[in-house]
Amino acid sequence: MDTQWETYEVFHQSRRGEPHSYVGSVHAPDPQMALQLARDQFARRLKCVSLWVVRSADITGTDYQDNDFFAQVTDKSYRDPKAFDAPDRLQPE
Amino acid sequence: MSLSLPSHIPRETFIRFLLAQADDELVLGHRDSEWTGHAPILEEDIAFSNIAQDEIGHSLVWLTLHEQLTGRTPDEMGFERIASEFRCCRFVEYPKGDFAYTVVRQYLFDVAEQVRLESFLESSFGPFKDTAEKLLREEMYHLLHSSSLVERLGDATDESHRRMQAAVDAAFPQSLGMFEQLEGEEGLTEGGVFPGNRTLRSRWLKRVVPFLRKVSLALPVKGENEHCTILCPIDDGGRKGMHTAHLDDLINDMQQVYRLAPGPNW
Amino acid sequence: MREKTSEDKLAEFEERVGRGEKVESGDWMPDDYRKNLIRMISQHAHSEIVGQLPEGKWIPYAPGFRRKLTLIAKVQDEAGHGQLLYRAAETLGKSREDMMSELLAGKAKYSNVFNYPTPTWADVGVIGWLVDTAAVINQTMLAQSSYGPYGRAMKRICYEESFHIKQGYDAIVALAKGTPEQRAMAQDSINRWWYPTLMMSGPPDSLSVHSQLAMKWKIKSKSNEQVRQEFVDHIVPQIRALGFEVPDPDCRFDDATGHHRYTQPDWDELRRVVNGDGPCNAERLAVRQKAHDEGRWVREALAAHHDKQSKNAAA
Repeated sequence: MDTQWETYEVFHQSRRGEPHSYVGSVHAPDPQMALQLARDQFARRLKCVSLWVVRSADITGTDYQDNDFFAQVTDKSYRDPKAFDAPDRLQPE
Repeated sequence: MSLSLPSHIPRETFIRFLLAQADDELVLGHRDSEWTGHAPILEEDIAFSNIAQDEIGHSLVWLTLHEQLTGRTPDEMGFERIASEFRCCRFVEYPKGDFAYTVVRQYLFDVAEQVRLESFLESSFGPFKDTAEKLLREEMYHLLHSSSLVERLGDATDESHRRMQAAVDAAFPQSLGMFEQLEGEEGLTEGGVFPGNRTLRSRWLKRVVPFLRKVSLALPVKGENEHCTILCPIDDGGRKGMHTAHLDDLINDMQQVYRLAPGPNW
Repeated sequence: MREKTSEDKLAEFEERVGRGEKVESGDWMPDDYRKNLIRMISQHAHSEIVGQLPEGKWIPYAPGFRRKLTLIAKVQDEAGHGQLLYRAAETLGKSREDMMSELLAGKAKYSNVFNYPTPTWADVGVIGWLVDTAAVINQTMLAQSSYGPYGRAMKRICYEESFHIKQGYDAIVALAKGTPEQRAMAQDSINRWWYPTLMMSGPPDSLSVHSQLAMKWKIKSKSNEQVRQEFVDHIVPQIRALGFEVPDPDCRFDDATGHHRYTQPDWDELRRVVNGDGPCNAERLAVRQKAHDEGRWVREALAAHHDKQSKNAAA
């Protein structure tokens, strides 16, 4: 029998205003304990103002094999600000 | 000596009081550190190592204050005194036992420390107030962790309940020794240093009695909360230097290497 | 569309690795790559876990507040590293429970060094200084590993290992400056750890079955010999600078090669020690087994508590 508990993925925010970023995972019996154990494993040196944990099994992700999921085949350069070259003035001075 | 004590605070008693706290934290931290490498699961190994570092760190804070009053360094106090000069309560001296005993002891200690530090926020002695503010922030997490474990293990399985109840049966009479009156304690209370061990004990009972009952752990007390009557003998004496043989062993271990070349040579 | 054959997949995989791109956990990978990684990462994790014990033994005896706190933090990091590494190995499809069972059953290997005894305080310093220096040289290389989760774990571990080396070196410097007894204690420890540390990076690659594959797929980028030479070149001047001796009369700098020459360790001893017949193998595993057995009720109870809560919430 597996007695190592489920895994929770841990996200860490180093200061207010920064995004939470993924730092690793912990084995924990429940979400509240996961937060405490994540604190000891991931915030004992890193400066931290907020932690999130989420049960690994609750994450839905894409498959690396499925490259087409991100395919962009036709020209989408019109979404890029650099694709526009309208002049600053209509007539030369 | 960089710090002097206001004249309304009795010096000898105050120093004993300071040492009682420093020694409690050092000895309990030492016991906690015995889990490093041996805890029930890797994540708890990491957690208990943190708690051990915090407790020993707190001891260092109190001993630094002691150094400012007496000129004796923390290492001299931790590593050169003999057992009968320690002022810790007997509660922290007992071997770490099983994880249930460790968790119950830590919980009872953490609440006591929180109650004590909170009372220092009102202390007439400024350095006490400042130190308490700092330490309380770390202590909050200890209490969260130990109470989370007590709450979960209290009646999770038959085995966990049995072990936790046995731990409470052993630890509760010992834990009352944390509040042993110090000789001359009235002087500190009158001087506004802290409200006295009797008051602290009431505040502590008010928190631990309902909490433990809620998680189905029985206590040898009759009545409600701080008004309860204690029905068990109290295991005290530590504050007078009357310790268990476990403290001798612990101190022999702790000082063994240091004694090869006493002083700042390590 | 034509189904990809395993040859196509292998070619694609090798091309990706060749480009220096990282492999991630959901990717197709050759069986041997997966097996090799699980073997390496779990051995590495086991080494951290067992590695807590030889130094952890000295926590109660550490002389002075600073050494006591530092040593707890160091051994704690080893638990932390084990945790990170088991997790990296889990991404390859093997559970931590399985890996731990193999360790406890004596079926898994781990670093030879942790099967030697630590009879004196100086061993704490020498492990941090010599053993962890050798480990970091290896791990800095592994941080570049083609397997993403391993590399990421390694990066964080390397950062923390630099604290391990510093604290070990610092403890030895204190002994070097101390009484004749303290100096002798340090020299004796260096003598005992020298060859076991040289063995850590593994036998010469001609003898190592795994090394060649691991290099081909960029799990590692240097040969065992290269890693060992880097260690020797780095550490010998440090040992001598503190006035200690390297316990190898033939160890000297060779102008022609720009490297130190040194006597090869006894590779038969390494084989015996990693296969379970070192001075402390049985003791180390017995201690881990005890912690695992005595902690079982805690793991089960916390899991049961969560189940109860979830059922109550659902009802």
